[in-house]
Amino acid sequence: MIEIKGIKKRFRNNEVLKGVDLTVEEGQTVSLIGSSGSGKSTLLRCINLLETPDEGKISIADLSFDAKEINRNVRAKARRRTAMVFQNFGLFENKTALENIMEALIVVQKKTPAEALEIGLDYIERVGMEDHRNHYPQALSGGQKQRIAIARALALDPKIILFDEPTSALDPELVQEVLNVIKKVSNERTTMLIVTHEMDFARDISDKVAFMSEGQILEIGTPQELFGNPKEERTRQFLDRYLQRFTYVI
Amino acid sequence: MGKIFDFEFMISIIPDIIKGIPYTIEIAVFAFVIGIGLGFIGALAKIYNVPVLKQLTNIYVSFVRGTPLIVQIMLIYYAIPIFVRLINQRFGTDWDISWIPALVFMLVAYSLNAGAYLTESIRASLQAVSKIQIEAAYSVGMTTWQAMRRIVIPQAIKVGLPVFANFFIGLLKDTSLAFTAAVPEIMGQAKIQAGRASRFFEAYIDAALIYWVICIILERVVAYVEKRQHLTEKTGGVKA
Ligand SMILES: Nc1ncnc2c1ncn2[C@@H]1O[C@H](COP(=O)(O)OP(=O)(O)OP(=O)(O)O)[C@@H](O)[C@H]1O
Ligand SMILES: [Mg+2]
Repeated sequence: MIEIKGIKKRFRNNEVLKGVDLTVEEGQTVSLIGSSGSGKSTLLRCINLLETPDEGKISIADLSFDAKEINRNVRAKARRRTAMVFQNFGLFENKTALENIMEALIVVQKKTPAEALEIGLDYIERVGMEDHRNHYPQALSGGQKQRIAIARALALDPKIILFDEPTSALDPELVQEVLNVIKKVSNERTTMLIVTHEMDFARDISDKVAFMSEGQILEIGTPQELFGNPKEERTRQFLDRYLQRFTYVI
Repeated sequence: MGKIFDFEFMISIIPDIIKGIPYTIEIAVFAFVIGIGLGFIGALAKIYNVPVLKQLTNIYVSFVRGTPLIVQIMLIYYAIPIFVRLINQRFGTDWDISWIPALVFMLVAYSLNAGAYLTESIRASLQAVSKIQIEAAYSVGMTTWQAMRRIVIPQAIKVGLPVFANFFIGLLKDTSLAFTAAVPEIMGQAKIQAGRASRFFEAYIDAALIYWVICIILERVVAYVEKRQHLTEKTGGVKA
C-alpha cells in the first residue's frame, strides 16, 4: 500500500502541489486524470523522488518518510520500491531491449547475470517482445518501446508502478497494444498509479479514479462514481469537455 | 658548391628523425589522457553548475582558447621554475628544477591545453544523451555515477568519437611546437639534423612526410573504429 499525505511542491513562486493526499491499496489500480498543468506528473515524480517534495509524508509499503528527511539513502529506498513508465519511454539507447530490462537487476539489485537473464526473458515474454530481445531501441516502434519500458518496470518487482501518460506519445494505431499490456498487468493485481487521458481505459481498468485540479485532488471515487456521478462541479466540467472532444473527433 | 637538393641526405637522416616519434606520441597520448580527465571535470562543473569550479573552468577555457599554444608553452616553461623557486623561498625547501626534463614541462603545457579544448567537446557529447534516459536510470535506482558510467558515457563516447579523434590528430601535429623547448620529438630531431648539415629543406620534408604517414594511419584506425560502431545500424539496430 502506498499513502501520501499533505504533499506540497513549489517551483519558485509556482505552487504546483498544494497538499495532496492519496492512498493506493495493494493490488489496486488508481487512475489520475485532470487538465494539463494540474500537477499530475509532478505528483508522480514526487513519489519516486525525481522531484523532492517540500512538505508532506510518504509511505511506500515498509518505507515511511517525511519530506524533511529526504536524503540519498531515502531516495535509493524509495526508488527501489517504485518503478516509472514515462511518456517518452526513456529506454537506454546503448542497450538492447533485453539488456534494458536486465540492467538495473544487475547494477542496482546486484543479481547475477544469469538470474537477471532469466527474469529478463520472463518479462520480455509477458509483454510479447521476445522476438525483439536483441533489438536496440532505435529499431523499435513507439509501442514496442513502451512495452519494453513496462517490462523493465515490472522486472524490478516494485511495490507500485507509476505510469505517466504511457500512450500519449504514441501514434494512434499503436495505443491499443500498450493499453492491452497495461490492462493485463493491472489484472494481475500489480499496484499501480496511472496518469492518463484515455478516459475509457481509465474507466475500464481502475479500482479508483482521482481527479486532480490546480495542485489538489478534488475528487476520488470508483469509476462509476466519478464518471457517472461526479460530485464536484469542476470534475463535471472537465469530463464534459473531454467527452465532447471525443464526439468531435468521431 | 653543393647540390641544390640533396636527396641522399634526405633519405639518410630519416632513421634519426624517426627517433623523435616516441616523444611525439608520448606527448600526444599523455596530453590526450590528462586532457580527457580535465575536460570531464570541466564539463561536469559546467553541466551541474558547480559554484566556483564552473567559473574557474570558464576562465581556464577562455584563456586557453584565447591565447596561442606557443605562448602557453613559453609561459609554462618559465612559470614552473619560478613557481619552484617561490616554494623554495617560502618553505625553505631546496628543490632543484634543473633535473626536471623539458619533456615534463611540455606534458604539462599540452595537457592543460587539451583539457580546455576537450571541456567543450565532452560537455556537448554528454549533453547529447537525452535527459529522459538519465531520469529513467535514476527511476530504476541507479546512482548518479552508475547512470553516468553505464548509460551516459558510453553514448557520449559514441557521439563524440569523430570530434575526439580529430582532436587527437590535431594534437599530434601540434606537438611539433615542443621543439621550442628542446624536446627531441620529430620536429626537434629534424632541426638537429638540419643544423648539422645546414640542409633545412631536406630535413623538414622528412618531418612533413613522417607526420603525414602517422596521420594517415590514425585516420585509417578511426575509420575502422567508426565502421565497427555503425555495425548495428547495418543490421537494422539488432545486436550482431
Ligand atoms: N521542473 C520544473 N520547473 C518549473 N516548473 C515546473 C517544473 N515541472 C513542472 N513545472 C510546472 O508545474 C506545473 C504542473 O506541471 P505538471 O507537469 O505536473 O502538470 P501535468 O498535470 O502533468 O500536465 P500535463 O497533462 O500537461 O502533463 C506546470 O505549471 C509546470 O509548468
Ligand atoms: Mg504530465
